[in-house]
Amino acid sequence: MKKFLIYLLVMTSFLIVTACSNDAEGEENEENETNTEESATESNDSSEETSDSENETVEAVFWHAMSGAGQESLEEIVQSFNDSQDNYRIIPEFQGSYEEALTKFRSVGGTNDAPAIIQTFEVGTKYMIDSGFIEPVQSFIDEEGYDISQLEENILNYYTVDGQLYSMPFNSSTPVMLYNKDAFEEAGLDPDNPPQTFAEIKEAGEKLTITDGDNTERYGFSILNYGWFFEELVATQGGLFVNHDNGRTDDATEALFNEEEGLRVFELIDDMNQAGTYGNFGSNWDDIRAAFQTENTAMYLDSSAGVANTVETAPFDVGVSYIPYSDEAERNGVIIGGASLWMSNGIDESQQEAAWEFMKYLQTSEIQAKWHIDTGYFAINPSAYEEDIVQEKWEEYPQLKVTVDQLQETESTYATQGALISVFPEARQQVVTAMENLLEGTDPQEALDAAKEETDRVIEQANRANQ
Amino acid sequence: MKPEVEMKLQNKTSAPKWQFIYWRRAILYLWPSILLFSVFLFYPLLKTFYLSFFLTDQQGMANVFVGLENYQYIIQSESFHKSIRATLIFVLLTVPTSVIISLFLALIANEKLKGIGFFRTLFASTMGISVAASAVVWLFIFHPSMGLFNQLINTLGGSEIEWLLDPQWALLSISITTIWMNIGFTFLILLGGLQNIDEHLYESARINGAGYFYQLRRITLPMLSPTLFFVITVSLINAFQTFGQVDILTQGGPSESTNLIVYSIYREAFVNYQFGTASAQSIFLFLCILIVTILQFRFGERKVHYQ
Repeated sequence: MKKFLIYLLVMTSFLIVTACSNDAEGEENEENETNTEESATESNDSSEETSDSENETVEAVFWHAMSGAGQESLEEIVQSFNDSQDNYRIIPEFQGSYEEALTKFRSVGGTNDAPAIIQTFEVGTKYMIDSGFIEPVQSFIDEEGYDISQLEENILNYYTVDGQLYSMPFNSSTPVMLYNKDAFEEAGLDPDNPPQTFAEIKEAGEKLTITDGDNTERYGFSILNYGWFFEELVATQGGLFVNHDNGRTDDATEALFNEEEGLRVFELIDDMNQAGTYGNFGSNWDDIRAAFQTENTAMYLDSSAGVANTVETAPFDVGVSYIPYSDEAERNGVIIGGASLWMSNGIDESQQEAAWEFMKYLQTSEIQAKWHIDTGYFAINPSAYEEDIVQEKWEEYPQLKVTVDQLQETESTYATQGALISVFPEARQQVVTAMENLLEGTDPQEALDAAKEETDRVIEQANRANQ
Repeated sequence: MKPEVEMKLQNKTSAPKWQFIYWRRAILYLWPSILLFSVFLFYPLLKTFYLSFFLTDQQGMANVFVGLENYQYIIQSESFHKSIRATLIFVLLTVPTSVIISLFLALIANEKLKGIGFFRTLFASTMGISVAASAVVWLFIFHPSMGLFNQLINTLGGSEIEWLLDPQWALLSISITTIWMNIGFTFLILLGGLQNIDEHLYESARINGAGYFYQLRRITLPMLSPTLFFVITVSLINAFQTFGQVDILTQGGPSESTNLIVYSIYREAFVNYQFGTASAQSIFLFLCILIVTILQFRFGERKVHYQ
């Protein structure tokens, strides 16, 4: 009996050891599998076109963070690319949210296992540039003499650093203000002439708010507790987020969002909050959209990518306008949001080529037109807006055009180019906390100063750690 | 044991050799768990300890030694203080409440009635739901404009509560969710403990004329104390390590009122990529749980009655 037990013990431990080392073997197996797969397709190819025996299908993995309608559309686009030629095959892999995909990329970046293309959100730009894991697309553009002037200038601006285009823009969005036209009429406001400045917002907000005893049935104005909207409201007044021209001319060392431009935004929120005309619906996109749909708030800021869906589902007439700006400043426009596609550098050259071909394919106006109407993201190639399907959609939803106009009217300055800092996610978080504290009654300047101090600390720490 | 082995055992002249054989055999039995523990527990623990003295670069590699700076920072940091406070309040809100509610449910489910199996299954059912799934359900219940709670309050004529958006309420809302999720597990363990109590004890008590509450105080609770001790210890540790419901319901907001320690660690490490400060916080949490558990064994276990 005892012997048997010991035997059992030894066996289980062997099992554990082999289980642990199984990983490596598993990978090898996988590789073998793909190899056989490849050779299978090869032999197929060669049997079909015997003359072209060198023809090999290069597979390139594409990590993306699109779910829902975006994922569907993206997979269709990838499929059509794969069908359009025989040399390359793109394999789309959903990797969770932008943050999650980036976290995974951090662990494989620079190795053979890195995906050929990874989609990264705009605030990850600085990190990607500094990481050393990526090949700037500029090198392919130069090599081939590829013409990028066809692309939307204001979008290219964001991803161009020191004169180099680092990543290929893909899904871009900007914030817009959505408002309830029916409520405007009810309150005696002109639904075709929405408020444009902070003072006008305040005024309209008062008229739009409906209270019933202690409960507010409808608030005048709302902003999602998300750092992006604050950044945009600062930028549209020409304010910088961090020093050294938003980190564009040198590494940023200090946050500037607590200066007058930022303060004006916080004062607007504070004034309206104290007047009871500002609705706080938290930091969840769905919650604030639901609040608008159920007429709990009459005006709010949303991403241009959410416009089509909101217009379609709202039980009332929805108006779309530019984001408001301060009375004391000029309107500068908006910073581009969304994500872009980056190319890995540790991988096979043929895979990079596949990635490059795919990126070029994405720029074509037909693909961009499809992408724009499927998702509401901008077409990075403006000629897509001339395509019939887009024109039809615009006729149906003229609100979509407002988002494009706002982007095209944006003046290119350091403010509207957007900030470049490697600790952007943390900075955003600090702003959100400041917004929440503000809504709880903290003084606007105090709330901003606290966020600035904390952001400065992480910027300093990151600069020190990455020397 | 074979006779020859027994014979050799009695042979005391070669004691050191035998000690060695015993030691070897002990290791043989232990090494699978030692191996697993080292890979999955000891190594990460040491690595965390190591990282807590460094700043990490973009790749998450430790590259600037800063000594105790990370610890200094978290000790001074306002937001970490908030985090500790929130965690302590959370533990105090959830652990006693869920144990008391589960104990009550276990006591009534322990009665021998027709169809009691249905209720036992019902009370234990929250155990079968994952944290993520139940948090999403509660997200709808707490929804500011369409949530069940606010609609109830509306029909009753009260003024709406911003469950997850008001810092005064958010931690309480998370606690309610957690208590609800905990009940299944604690209930099941306590019911098991109750069923293990010898029927004869109650019989003799009844013969002696003891009432229900006297029996409860003098028989049920003392006999249940090992189980209660286990449940309280596990719930305490779990409460300190709460993560899922915070991530889904509030993301640590509003005004950091629900930024429990584990969530704060997660944010430092995987949103801000500051593995140094995150590791320092982890070590702090480790020490907290260690102290609480030691205290519990020192003082709590005295009251435990083992048969």
